[in-house]
Order: sequence, then structure tokens, then C-alpha cells
Amino acid sequence: MRNMTRLLAEVQRYWKVLVVICLLTLTSAGLGLPGPLIIRYLVDKLVARQPFNIAGVFFLLVGVAAASGIVGYALTMCVTYLGQRFKYDMRRKLYAHLQTLPLGYFEKSQTGKLMSTITNDVATLDQLISGGFVTLISDVVTLIFVLFIVFNMNWYLAVWGLCVFPLYFANYFFHIGKIKRTADEIREERDVMLGDLQEKLAGALVVKSYAKERFEVRQFVGQNRNLLDLNVGQGMLGTRLWTIAEFIGSGMGVAIIMFVGGKQVMAGHLTAGSLIAFVSFMTGYMYGPILRLIQINDQIARTNAALNRIFGMLDTEPNIKDAPGAEALAKIQGAVRYEDVWFEYEPGQPVIKGVNLDVKAGQMVAFVGQSGSGKTTMINLLSRHYDVTGGAITIDGKDLRGVTVESLRRQVGVVIQETILFNTTIRENIRYGRLEATDAEVEGAAEAANIHHVIAALPKGYETRIGEEGIKLSGGEKQRIAIARAILSDPRILVLDEATSALDSETETLIQGALDKLMEGRTSFCIAHRLSTIVKADLIVVMERGVVREAGSHHDLLASGGIYAGLYNQQFKVALEALPQ
Amino acid sequence: MSNFGRLLGYLKPYRYRVLLAVFLMMLVTLSALPMPRVTQFMIDTVLPQKRYGSLWTVLWIILGLYAFRGIVSFALNYLIGWLGQRVVFDLRYQSYRHLNRLSLSYYDKRQTGKIMARVIDDINVIQYMITGGIVTLITDILTLLVVIPVIFTMSWQLGCIAIAVVPIYVVSYKLFLKRIRAISVELREKWDALIGGLQEKLAGITVVKAFVREEFETQHFMQTVQDNFTLGMVQAKLNRSLGLVATVIRAVGTGFIYWMGAKMVLGRAMQPGELLAFTGYIGYLYDPSVRLVDFNIQAQWAGAAMDRVFETLDTRPEIVDAPDAVSIGSIKGSVEFRNVTFGYDPENPVVHDLNLSVEPGEVIAIVGPSGAGKTTLVNLVARFYDVTSGSVLIDGHDVRQIRLETVRRQIGYVSQESLLFSVTLRENIAYGNHDATPDQIEQASRNADLHDVVKELPDGYDTKIGEDGVKLSVGQKQRLAIARATLTDPRILILDDATSALDSKTEANVQDALERVMKGRTNFVIAHRLSTIMGADRIVVMDGGRIVDVGPHSELVHRPGVYKNLYDEQFKSAQEEALAAYLG
Repeated sequence: MRNMTRLLAEVQRYWKVLVVICLLTLTSAGLGLPGPLIIRYLVDKLVARQPFNIAGVFFLLVGVAAASGIVGYALTMCVTYLGQRFKYDMRRKLYAHLQTLPLGYFEKSQTGKLMSTITNDVATLDQLISGGFVTLISDVVTLIFVLFIVFNMNWYLAVWGLCVFPLYFANYFFHIGKIKRTADEIREERDVMLGDLQEKLAGALVVKSYAKERFEVRQFVGQNRNLLDLNVGQGMLGTRLWTIAEFIGSGMGVAIIMFVGGKQVMAGHLTAGSLIAFVSFMTGYMYGPILRLIQINDQIARTNAALNRIFGMLDTEPNIKDAPGAEALAKIQGAVRYEDVWFEYEPGQPVIKGVNLDVKAGQMVAFVGQSGSGKTTMINLLSRHYDVTGGAITIDGKDLRGVTVESLRRQVGVVIQETILFNTTIRENIRYGRLEATDAEVEGAAEAANIHHVIAALPKGYETRIGEEGIKLSGGEKQRIAIARAILSDPRILVLDEATSALDSETETLIQGALDKLMEGRTSFCIAHRLSTIVKADLIVVMERGVVREAGSHHDLLASGGIYAGLYNQQFKVALEALPQ
Repeated sequence: MSNFGRLLGYLKPYRYRVLLAVFLMMLVTLSALPMPRVTQFMIDTVLPQKRYGSLWTVLWIILGLYAFRGIVSFALNYLIGWLGQRVVFDLRYQSYRHLNRLSLSYYDKRQTGKIMARVIDDINVIQYMITGGIVTLITDILTLLVVIPVIFTMSWQLGCIAIAVVPIYVVSYKLFLKRIRAISVELREKWDALIGGLQEKLAGITVVKAFVREEFETQHFMQTVQDNFTLGMVQAKLNRSLGLVATVIRAVGTGFIYWMGAKMVLGRAMQPGELLAFTGYIGYLYDPSVRLVDFNIQAQWAGAAMDRVFETLDTRPEIVDAPDAVSIGSIKGSVEFRNVTFGYDPENPVVHDLNLSVEPGEVIAIVGPSGAGKTTLVNLVARFYDVTSGSVLIDGHDVRQIRLETVRRQIGYVSQESLLFSVTLRENIAYGNHDATPDQIEQASRNADLHDVVKELPDGYDTKIGEDGVKLSVGQKQRLAIARATLTDPRILILDDATSALDSKTEANVQDALERVMKGRTNFVIAHRLSTIMGADRIVVMDGGRIVDVGPHSELVHRPGVYKNLYDEQFKSAQEEALAAYLG
């Protein structure tokens, strides 16, 4: 129920539209009522064979229909507007919020499920709001009007007409529990199916490598077979509920009214026209609304899951927020200090344990260590994807937590291991680094990343689309485009996380040349397993299980004969052996 | 329209059920007919003549009528529900099976989200079309066929009036239809764009954040949402306008009938109840006409959905078993490239006229600059793509003449990107060999230097990875992928830069284990770190899609060329150091 209150608070914003909708609903409900009454008048006159104003009846009928059509039109437009507007605002809110969430959140969530919340769950809410709520108002209003009218016409007959309702409720409650349970099962089964499907389609390479196509198809068929059975079962339950409801309402209800009402007419307590009007009020305006009213409860319950996911997402606090007094970081020199830095992803499991580092502006720092030693974490802390849990990191003497995230990240350029490019032209992909860059600047960056000649050789050059419906680039080519993108953003601090691992040595050398130029005058941090690429670093930091074990220049570390020297010798063992004696 | 015909083809296996459904629809239609007559009987006979006894008859007739209708429509709905679900099932099964047959080039070019949308959303739309649209359409047509004669028998004058307004309706319908269609198509496209963009930017969130493009992306996303909003409003407007026209036309028709009918009643040419019954019947006439609009809108959506589903089904898999393809038993593992030319796009070959013969048990390393065609070469061995010309032979058989599955099962392939699934570590390792014993799994894991990492996890091999599970580093993922490949005991092992993310020490450990694993198999190893491949029997140096040199390390390193340059580059500093130490 807390969810509902919150949803109502979200909807409150549209109170103006809501007021208009309420008014239109009232009018629309009101315009539905004259119909049966006109028919009553008509039938009574006809049965008595009394002349009457036929043209008047005609214009009244057409007029009411036209009016109700116009009101219905306005109502639908308002409701559509409300629904669309709500979806628009909600999606904006969710998407904008997602952007503030840390990378860890995305690593833990399947993209498909995030998407489903933004698209499907929001649509479910819209159904409740523009479908459920609006019908609720209109149903309640109609019900009150009609009850008043029918009791006024003949209370005795009205009571008889209502006496089938207990059966109605009984039928509903008899079925609904089972329907709900099946619905839950269907949802679960469907989620599993969707999750698997997404993963196996994205991982088609692995499926094919292991010739597991038939196995996967069997699995998928199994899941769908379950879904088929559940859905058919669910369909049967629903159909049974509705069929019985129709029998009770239209069948028993009408039969009783005809029987009791017939007697009343013969006894002179009721006119024939009233009887006809009665039947049409009961079947058209009462059984339906009452059934929908009991159903709304259900619809709310169904929406609850969607609400949980939506509010769950909105309630996930971004772990990095600008402090209240955070100032924008002015153009930095790039002196970086790690002062007794501690960090843990999970409480109680520190992955960085008291690291101290002093990097002067313009220096190149290389992190070396086994996977899991905390190298990438060190870099993530610098670009503030996470905040330190102890100690502090400063740039030019300013604690990172005291500056705005945006001003910081704009000056820290990161090239990561996995190359992610977007489904657009090569030019737009590079330009992503700095949106206002000119074409010449884009090409300059490509040149610097040693990819210009490859792009220029393509038939469409920089306008070549990559990704879907586009060309296929090799891993190294993609990586170089990513580097061009980073070069274009002209950061003060450059972070290369295994940026060149997918490149062969020759290309790496070429890019390294470009990167060397880029690194000039900038502070840079790199992680690379190939020691040859990092020997020239001003400061090599050897990490092990979150602790700095050694730090110094290549020569110092080699001379000290520690871990680095060991790693170095390991990698060059063969080279050394190959030396002429 | 041919798509609809094709969809009906999916109902063919269930034709008897379909026939039964149509029969039930007729019964449902017929069961609606007596009700207006009952009203007529009440008004014209029972009430004026005060026949108390007939009230019982009316009561039982109504109850009987609705009981009959209830039972029949229950059976009908159940049947239709089953048919709809069944067609969904068949379509999903076919689509998924087909997707699995399609070669990697299909996936290279498409976003996963869009493929998903076809398998899920589009097929759902088709289901609604079958269970909702088609049934209503058939029932409506049946009703029209039955009702029109009925009203004309009751009164041909009133019948003419009732029919007279229909053309107006048809004309206005035609006027709107084109625009409604156009807007539906546009809306669908915009929605696809929204989904595609969303998927891409969420999957690439790292880049968005790295370049501080959050606001830019939000704005961009909102623009697509805005487009959907605007189009949605236009669509609603068109639909409702048509609805409004329909309502008014219907009211005018009904009004005229009351007008004429009332005159006839007053002139004693008709009974009042008869007029009521008549207006009851024209409801059956107008309702279906109005519903036809809904059906058409639905059909638009379903049509677009069918286009996409059938397009997927019609995409020819590029890699298919030849009709006379043979199953191959256990292979020895010799691989030969004979004049192989290949391009992902045939116009732009990336491998040119390549020849290479590999003996069983050899370790072949492939080096060269990026874009040289290294990955392409090994992809051709695993037959992820077919050569454009020339042939690839395994044990002397052209791979195109061997049943794909039988050969791929004997190839272990570790790709550049380590793709893992959201299941336990154990299931991930055993993906290629579900029958593996825990011991075998552990051994495979040891081979990849992964066992020690797994041991430290609280749940060990039963630890779930991925969503809601533990996060593995890139290096750990690579080791898992290696473990997975070795567990299948392949005859040919392909490692495409499979150790790039490992630090030297781990790599050395993995390397030792791999050397043992590689024994007795044919191996293709792509690596940029030369230290990892110097032990290879032969090193194939590629550049620009051609083999520029082949030989063992000891030979190549003394020959001026690409390899020597690579080597010198990587080992220059090491040699300088070593030399310095050597000279003291």
C-alpha cells in the first residue's frame, strides 16, 4: 500500500488533467443514462399506441449520442495525454536516475531487466492509471446514478435484480486466488525464460563454439512448454470466471427481472417501457461496473510488482553524490595523492588496504600486479566511480569528495579494457569524447591513435556505420577508435586500463608513440600486463592483495630484486636465454 | 497479405480444432439471436395479454439460452486460447531454433535487444491477433451474415434504412485508415529506436560515465520518448475521431429506425415489441462494423510483427550442412587451408589466397598486427564462417562436407571476450560437457589456474556468477573460459588471445598447464605477448590477410621481417637490461 501512496503522489502532479478527466467522466456517465429512459418513453407510447413527437425522440437520441461521442472523444484524449505524459515523466526520471548510479549497479543487473523496468513496468503503471483509475471513477459515479434511478423506478424489482450479486462475488472469489497464483508462476517462468534468452543470444559465440545449439533449443522448448501449460491453464480459469459471471448477470439477472418485472407490469405497478429500461440499466450499467470494482483490487496487486521494481530503482542511492558544498574543479595540474586509502566493495572485505602514493603533475604511473590485486580499483577510485572508505585521494591538494563529479571526470580520460562503441558512424563514435569537436579535430585524434589510414581506406570513410548493419572491425581497430575518442576529450589525467592489450606489439608501438605524445605534460596512470609497455613509467607501483608492495622506477625496482624484478625476469626469461652468450 | 496466409499455415496442423472453433463460433452467434425475440414476445404477447403462466416460460428460456451460450463460449474460448498459445509456442520454437542455426555474421550485425524483441514481443502481438482479432472477426462476419437476412425478413423498409448508413461509415473508415496505418508503422519504428538506444547505452554505461555524458544521454533518450509521446497522441486522436464518426453514424441510423418504426407501430403495421427486437438486431449489425476498425489497427501491428518474425525465419543460415554432409568420427586433427580467400563481405576479402598445412598435434602460433586476419583464420577452422573460395580441410575432408556439429564438438574455442552465463561456476565450466564429473571439472579448473580462486569462495564451484552473484575479474573470466574449453577434451584447441588479461605470473602458471593440455592435440594460439608463443612448433606471421612467414621461433628471430621487428620491439628493453647485466 505504501507503493500506492507513492504512486498517487507521482500522479498528483497532473491534478489539472485529473480534474478535467473527472468532470468529463461525470458528464460521460451522465450522458449514458438518458438512453434507456428515452427507450422507456418510446415503448410506453408505442404500447399504448399514443401519438408522440417522433422527431423529438429522434433528435434527442442522436443528440445524446453525439454529445456522448464528443465527450468520449475529449475524455479519451485527456486520458491518453495523462498516460503518455506519465510514461514520459516516469521514464525520464528512471533514466536520469540510472545515469547517476555507480557502475557496480550495472554489473549486477542484466541490461534486459533494467530495460524492462523502463519500458514494460512503466507501461503497466500507465495501464493502471489511465485504465484502472479512470474506469474506477466512472464506474463509481455510474453505479450511484443507476442505483438511484432503478430504486426510484421500482424498489421491489431493484432488490430482486440485486439478489444475484452474492453469487457474483462468490464466483469471483472462488477463482481469483488460483488465477493470482498462476499469474505469479507465469511471471517467474517468463522472467527465467527472458533472462536465459538474452544471455544465450548475447553469448551466441559460446553456444556455437560448443555446438550446443540443440541443447539450448531443448532448454528453451522446455521453458516454453511450461509457459504454454501455465498460460492455457490461466486462460481456462479466466474464461470460466467470465462465462459464469455472464451467466449470472445477463442470464439469471435478466431472467429474474423479466419474471418479477413481468408480474409487476401485469399488476399495473410498472410500465412495459420501464421494464425494458430496467433490463438495460441492470445489464449495461450495473453488473459491469461492480465486477470491475472488485477487480481493481487485483489490478493494483498486479501493478505492485512493477511498482516495486520502479521504486526499487529510484530508491537505489547513487553511492557517489556531490557533497552539499562541492565546488567545480578548475583546470587541474594533475598532482595526485593517495593518502592512506582504504576501500571495500563489501563491508568487511577491504580490497585496498592503506595505500599511500604521491604522484607529481605530469608523471606516468604504472600499476603492476596479479589480477585481483586492486589495480583497477585504484583507478576507479581516482575517477570516483567509488568513494574511498578510509583515507583520502587528492588532486592538486583538493579532496575528491569535495569537488563535483562532473568537473572531475571531464578532466580524467579513461580507456578501458573492453571496448564499447556505439551503433553509429565512426565519426560520431570518436566525437563522443568531445561533442563540439570539429571534423578536423576528430580526424586529428584518429591520426594520433594511428587509425586514420584504416578509416580513410573504407568506402564511406568516417561516415561508415559500425555495429548493427555496419562493418565489422577487428579488436585492435575498435580499441584504437576508443583511444581516439579519449584523445579527443583532451583530459588532464589519462587512465589506460589494459587499453592496448588487444593490440599487437607493432600497432601498440605506434599507438604508444601517440600516447607518449598525449601523456606529455599530463599525469597518466596505466595498467598493462606487458611490462615492455610500462618500463618507461616514472613510477611503477607493484600491488598485491590491495597493498603496495613496491614502488619506484624500473631501474630502482630491478636493482632491488623484489617482486617486480621477478615478474620482469619471468617475462623475459626466454629473451634472456636467447641472448648470445 | 501473404504473411497472413503464412500465419494461417501455422494453424494447419490443428485444422480440426480450428474447424471445431469455427463451428462453436457459429453456435455462439446463433445463441445471441433469440434474445431480442424474447423481448418482443414479452412486450407484444405476455404483458398485454397478462399471461402469467408464460412468465415461467420466459424465465426458463432466458436461463437455458444463457446456459447454452455460456457452455459453448467457454469451450470456444478455451479452444482459442489453446490455439493461440500453441501457435506462439510453435513460432517461438521455430524462431529460436532458427536463430541457433544462423551463423555468427547474423549476430555480428544485430543488437541482442532487437533479436529478443522478435522472439518475445512480436510473437505476442501475433498471439493477440489470433486469440482476439481473428476470432472476433470471424464471429462478426458470421453475425453479419445471419443478422442481415433476419432484419430484412422482419421489415425490409427498416432493413434498408439500417443498411443505408453503412456506406457513409465505410467511406469515412477508408479516409482514416491510411493515416492510421502510417502512424502505426511510424510508432513502431520509433519504439524500436527507443529500445535499441536504451539497450546500447545501458550496456555501454561505462563509456557514458567515463565521458560524463549522462545528461547528454538523458536528453537524447528523452527525445525518443518525446517522439513516441507525440505520435501516441496523434494515433489516439485519429482512432477516436473515427470512433466518434462511427458513434454518430450509428446513432443516426438507430434514430431513423425508431422514427420510421414508431410511425409503422402507430399505423399498426408493426408491433412495439417487434420494433424493439429490430433495434436489438441492428446492434448486431453496427457493433461488428465498428469493431472492424479495431481489428484493422490490430492487424497493422500484427502485420509488422509478422514481417519481422518471418524475416528472421527466412534469413538463410550461411553455414548449413550440405545434403550429403557426413558425420565424422574422432578426428586426428590435421588442418589444411587450401587457397583460402575470405571476406565478411565478399567484396572486401580479409584473407587472401592462403595456404597452410597443419599436422595433428602441432602447436601453431599466429602473430601479426591487428586486422591481419588472425581471428578470421581460426574462425574458419571452427567454421563460424564459410570460405569465399578455396577450402579448409580437417583430416583431409572439406569442412563444408562434414556435419557441422560433429566437427565443432571436437574443437575447443576460447575467444577474445570471455562470455559466461549467469549460472554457477560449475555449470559454466561444464557447459561444453554436461556429463563431466566433479573431479574432471576440478582438473580443468586446475589446468586454467582457477581452482585456487574457486576454493576460496564460500560456495566453491556452486557459486553463482553474474547477476546477483559474484563478480569475476576479466582475468578470472578468461581462465574460466579456458577451463571450459579444456573440459571438452577437444582434438583441436583454439586460443584467441585467451590469456591477454592475465598478469605474467598467472599466465606463466596457465601456460605450464596449457602445455600439458596441448599435448596430443592440434593447437592454434593467437597471442600478442610473444613470450607465450615462442614454444610453438611453428609460428605463422600474418599481415594484411596473408601469411608472410612461417617457422619456429629460432628461425624467424634470425630472419629480418615482421616477426623479428615485433620481437625486437618487445624484447629490446629486456635485452638491453640483460646485456647490461651480462657485461657487468
